[in-house]
Amino acid sequence: MKKLIKKYKTKSVSIIIFTLALSLWSCEDFIEVDTPNYLIGNDVLYTDAKTVEAAMLSIYAKLRDNTLLTGDAQGLSTLLGQYADEFDYYSPYGLPEEQFNKNALLASNTSVAQIWDGSYNQIYAANAILEGVKVPYFSQEEIAQFSGESLFIRGLVHFYLVTLYGDVPYIKTTNYLLNQEAHRDKVVDVYQYIIEDLETARTLLPPNESSGERVRPDQKTAAALLARVYLYSQNWEKAAAMASLVIENTSWETNPENVFLKESPSIIWQLQPEFDGRNTLEAGNFIFETAPPPTRALTPSLVNAFEQGDLRKEHWIGTVTDGTQSWYYPFKYKHQAGEPTNAEYSIILRLAEQYLIRAEARVHMGDLSAAQSDINLIRTRAGLAPTNANGNEELQNAIMQERRVELFSEHGHRFFDLKRTGSIDNVLGNIKPGWNGDDILFPIPQKDLLLNPNLQPQNPGY
Amino acid sequence: MKNYYRRSYAYALSFALFLTYNSPLLSQNQPQKTISGIITDADGPLSGVNVQVKNTARGSISDLDGRYSVSASANDMLVFTYVGYKLREVAVGTASIMNVVMEVDAQALDAVVINAGYYKVSDREKTGSIARVTAEEIERQPVSNPLAALQGRMAGVNIVQTTGVPGGGFSVRIRGRNSIRADGSEPLYIVDGIPYPSQSLGNTEVSNVMGQAQSPLNGISPTDIESIEVLKDADATAIYGSRGANGVVLITTKKGKVGKTTLTLGTTTGVGSVTRRMDLLNTEQYLAMRREAFANDGISEYPANAYDINGTWNQTRYTDWQEVLLGNTAYYNTLEASITGGSINNQFLVKGSHRKETTVFPGNFDYKKNSLLSSYTHTTEDQKLRLRVTGNYVSDNNRLPTTAFVHPAVNLPPNAPALYNENGELNWENSTFSNPLAQLAANYRSQSSTLLGNGNITYTLFKGFSVSANLGYNEIHLEESNTNPNTVYDPAFGLGSEYSSITANTAKRSSWIVEPQLEYEYQFGKMGFSILAGTTFQSETRFGRTQYAMGFTSNNLIYDLSSATDHIILSNKEDEYRYNAVYGRINLNWESKYILNLTGRRDGSSRFGPGKRFANFGAVGAAWLFGDEEFIKEGLPFLSFGKIRGSYGSSGNDQIGNYGYLNSYIGTGTSYQGIPTLQPANLYNPDYGWETNRKMELALELGFLKDRINLTTAFYRNRSSSQLVGIPLPGTTGFPSIQANLDATVENRGLEIELNTVNLKNENLTWTTTAQLTVPRNKLISFPNLEGSTYANQFVVGEPLDLALLLNYTGVDPQTGLYTFEDYDGDGNISFPNDLKKPVRVGVDYYGSLTNTITYKNLSFDFLLQYVKQTGYNFQYTSAPAGFMANQPTEVLDHWQQPGDQGFNQQFTAGFNEDAYVAYSYHSYSSAVVSDASFLRLKNVSLSYTIPKTALGVGCRIYGLAQNLFTITDFIGMDPETQSLGQLPPLRVMSLGVELSI
Repeated sequence: MKKLIKKYKTKSVSIIIFTLALSLWSCEDFIEVDTPNYLIGNDVLYTDAKTVEAAMLSIYAKLRDNTLLTGDAQGLSTLLGQYADEFDYYSPYGLPEEQFNKNALLASNTSVAQIWDGSYNQIYAANAILEGVKVPYFSQEEIAQFSGESLFIRGLVHFYLVTLYGDVPYIKTTNYLLNQEAHRDKVVDVYQYIIEDLETARTLLPPNESSGERVRPDQKTAAALLARVYLYSQNWEKAAAMASLVIENTSWETNPENVFLKESPSIIWQLQPEFDGRNTLEAGNFIFETAPPPTRALTPSLVNAFEQGDLRKEHWIGTVTDGTQSWYYPFKYKHQAGEPTNAEYSIILRLAEQYLIRAEARVHMGDLSAAQSDINLIRTRAGLAPTNANGNEELQNAIMQERRVELFSEHGHRFFDLKRTGSIDNVLGNIKPGWNGDDILFPIPQKDLLLNPNLQPQNPGY
Repeated sequence: MKNYYRRSYAYALSFALFLTYNSPLLSQNQPQKTISGIITDADGPLSGVNVQVKNTARGSISDLDGRYSVSASANDMLVFTYVGYKLREVAVGTASIMNVVMEVDAQALDAVVINAGYYKVSDREKTGSIARVTAEEIERQPVSNPLAALQGRMAGVNIVQTTGVPGGGFSVRIRGRNSIRADGSEPLYIVDGIPYPSQSLGNTEVSNVMGQAQSPLNGISPTDIESIEVLKDADATAIYGSRGANGVVLITTKKGKVGKTTLTLGTTTGVGSVTRRMDLLNTEQYLAMRREAFANDGISEYPANAYDINGTWNQTRYTDWQEVLLGNTAYYNTLEASITGGSINNQFLVKGSHRKETTVFPGNFDYKKNSLLSSYTHTTEDQKLRLRVTGNYVSDNNRLPTTAFVHPAVNLPPNAPALYNENGELNWENSTFSNPLAQLAANYRSQSSTLLGNGNITYTLFKGFSVSANLGYNEIHLEESNTNPNTVYDPAFGLGSEYSSITANTAKRSSWIVEPQLEYEYQFGKMGFSILAGTTFQSETRFGRTQYAMGFTSNNLIYDLSSATDHIILSNKEDEYRYNAVYGRINLNWESKYILNLTGRRDGSSRFGPGKRFANFGAVGAAWLFGDEEFIKEGLPFLSFGKIRGSYGSSGNDQIGNYGYLNSYIGTGTSYQGIPTLQPANLYNPDYGWETNRKMELALELGFLKDRINLTTAFYRNRSSSQLVGIPLPGTTGFPSIQANLDATVENRGLEIELNTVNLKNENLTWTTTAQLTVPRNKLISFPNLEGSTYANQFVVGEPLDLALLLNYTGVDPQTGLYTFEDYDGDGNISFPNDLKKPVRVGVDYYGSLTNTITYKNLSFDFLLQYVKQTGYNFQYTSAPAGFMANQPTEVLDHWQQPGDQGFNQQFTAGFNEDAYVAYSYHSYSSAVVSDASFLRLKNVSLSYTIPKTALGVGCRIYGLAQNLFTITDFIGMDPETQSLGQLPPLRVMSLGVELSI
């Protein structure tokens, strides 16, 4: 043995040393890896206005593409159109959209969960920016701009959540330990928080959006949304004041054919399509060319709600016929993907709604003639005679009718209007066999009730 | 693993003893000389070989380098014997150096040298739980994925095929699901010592035809495999430390064999079809259902889009859509050639194979796989240095539709219109029929290549002490794409090729590993020591880019992304993973009777945050071969083998994504105002650390009647704690989950029984049987503060993880004709989630298999029956309400029709009865959709005939193979294994083959 060892001593010692040397490598250094090329650490991102800008813009891209305001079938324009009386369902059985059409939502409906999750994801992104932009890396102007936009988004998204789900947690932090056991805030409190956020946003945002395309919120945008929020919370004076503020600073589009073109002066806020020639998701989603329709069509009751000679029916509704029967689709957006440029963007806030908000507020404030003139401005553009509605109730009905035909297929106005005016059970109860009073609220997604018992109880009826 | 060969070991041994003790000493007078040499087997030097001068008492044993020396005369005959090898006799003659190659006796148990990864161990002396499948068993199966070849062949290893589509995936669970999260229970794959990824490079959105990403093991050709070992218990897996918790699958490729150079050529051809179809309504039954549904709903005038029944479609047509869409025959062809041979010092193998299979879908689709395996082993003359190089290259090419057609095959009304019109064009029936064949224009294509190269150098410094290094490189490239040309749409929509789009995924993974290792073996009297120590350096980079392009001037250009008008890069990621470890083993062996095995590993992984990266794992295993004790031999003579073994130890799991500890943003793949946008990547947690899995095992191995009956019974208990999971979070946090350690413990217990018998054995006829049974039990044993956690409504302490909390289905109300459910909270309504209180197990109860092998002269017949006792989601989980415009299985004929009825199905509804629709919606969340999914399947049959070697020296074997020949089940749905109504069931394959060896 000794001999053997001697014989191989030099060789073995060197090999053993080499092996041991390799083992010494076995330390923290070897398993240290760099931040990968596709991630950017928060510590880096929040030192540069350009990267924060990219983070901010992702929220608009998601509003456009994913939830709530998107023009595709996952958005409120489609889902609430089905839920109320704007659309008939023609798709094959089994899509989540079908449960909306039948007013038979289950707490497990994937669209209900997507709206919830997607909304809070956007709120998280807004809160992250609010927490991230600080001196000394950013100037006061930059902080005001990013904070204003983030607060606007936070208010906007919570506004849709509260109108859909009732009491909802108002999330103001990115801390998941707090957010995972969030309690539901009362509707009035949520409205209060929304108003606080939007009013603050209004002071922080620039007076005019910098690109000139109105694709990001500015002071006017915040005011326009506030007008709606005040209207929904029946604060008529403030609703009228905010609407007036917007109206005074925005020009009126007189040609119904141009209302949805991206240059239209009456646009307050719109979402830019992803790339040139993409145009809006709404156009791709709503327009169909075959009869019977492959997915959905406007209900005959909506189409029949237009008065004789209403130019909006002519310009904003498309028709497909198989020879014996006709079907209709929203034709506000006419330009589809595949064109060389974008003629239309997805409009979120536009001036006509502000007139109708002010008209409604004015009726409640007793200023009936001013309300009439607001309505008539819209009727004139539609080629209709001035309204002959008189008195409080008639005017309110006239405004509801005008809202129905003006704002159809735009982010669920019809549903929200029926709901906030208390007429929903009468209207939908008569025409939709699945409707019952509990349907005014969506169910809280089942998984969230399971994961956070503080969200209990479930909304009634689910 | 089949070890029914042990009896001949006894024969060989007794024969050698006979020679030793009964010999007259005739050759004493001849002049003696010293004969020396090296004894090797196909793998290199063989130590412990008994060398005997025939008919004398003289002899010797070869040392660790295979060297021996013995004195003998020229007239003598040397007899070489070694347990598990064929006896060799060589005349001495004039030689003084005699190098001998020993040949494995496949008929002997102890020949079964098992690969335990870093070391080898004989089946007899192993202390851990290691299951094994050999080339012989793999080659009997006409499969393209190595995992398919393991199905039903190993106790404790549950492999479920998730789709019958070629290239699709498998779910592998070794001794149950350890992790609370649904993923993260994948085993560690090691191919020739190199870790092989268990995660696919594929993108699920691109390969949606398979329902998941394509199987990563496509990169290995089953016929290139010599053996697959599965390490199950702590003793066997602890040396793999952090990655061993879910078991380790060791794949060893074929190596060159010592002997004359042999050329082997083989070819097979076969056919495949879907294993099982559903029994659906015919046109008459279907239309009756529809009419009844509308009548129930009070609708007398059929709606405009009820084409099947309102007169738009011909109501006398009948099409068996399963036959049309899934009923084609898939063809299989394989071609193989290999050359192997070598001397004691050099052995080589070159093997190439080609495989092609088509699909059961209409249209021209196929899956091709080419592989090239080469292996070279060199040993220096002095046997000091041993070098082995293996290169394995596999390329596969898959062309499939983008949908598996199961959905239309089951759902299309039986009176739906013809697929083609008189002009031979796709028929859209005036836009009333969404023609399923239009989807044939949308293609999934994938091309991947896998390169596995490894080298192993072993240098023996001095007797018993060797240094080795294992070096490996693995590179996988994948290109896959999913097209959606405008022609999948009804031409009436007027969509041109500007709407055609493609989603393409390009991915690459490269990984290298270096493992220097020291090994020392020493025999001290009756005590054998074996010590091993090594260290691992591994680095892996993974790159993936998924792109979407839309708008082509012509569909012919659809694969040219630069021809598209719009491009979006959906993701573009490069990940790096680094891993470092030291490992070791100490084995003490007293007289091959008492064996103690200690293993351990210290691991560091870049997947964890700073300060959390290192952890230790270790195990102790012991075995007592009590069958070799004198008192047993005397007291229980019928017992030919007896061993008790046990082990306890820990291994870990680091199967989580990289970089979860970083607080960071990630690109969204979409832009706004022309600027690519960024979003928060995830909720970050810098504090998560290792998950540990403590495994305990106790096993008894017995052999009776000269090992004609062998019984192995193993009991295991694994406990996983400090569960590393993406803890699900409510949406209000902005994210679905966060990576963290959960203070919960999951226990997997089970019993594995394996019985091998030699029923008949004579010169011409051998009949052996192997029976296996696995009874797994899974339980959540502790979960502090479960009630307050996000898992409160998902798990129950003391219950299995595969539990679903559902509505309790209470039958069809005889009055209303609607499904009813238990109202747990008594509020008069069925509400979510308050009434989701019925715990229903969805999973495996036990499983087993029975294999019989009968050999008569040159004819060999083998079959495997697989049985799984389980529950699963039946077709009602996802089907439409009966009465809608979708076909139904004949089960729904048993339904409510009038007050007083009950039935399987509630009253038919066409969707206009809201109560019926809501009851249907509840029903799909109720206990009714979980039912028995047990099945008995004739998994594999093979028949082969070897034509005796002709004068030309050509060997020939003819064989027939069949897979999934028949299935017996009460499952209500398509296939009890895949269960889902979206996935293609496994195929029944029958093939014929010829193999020539020259």
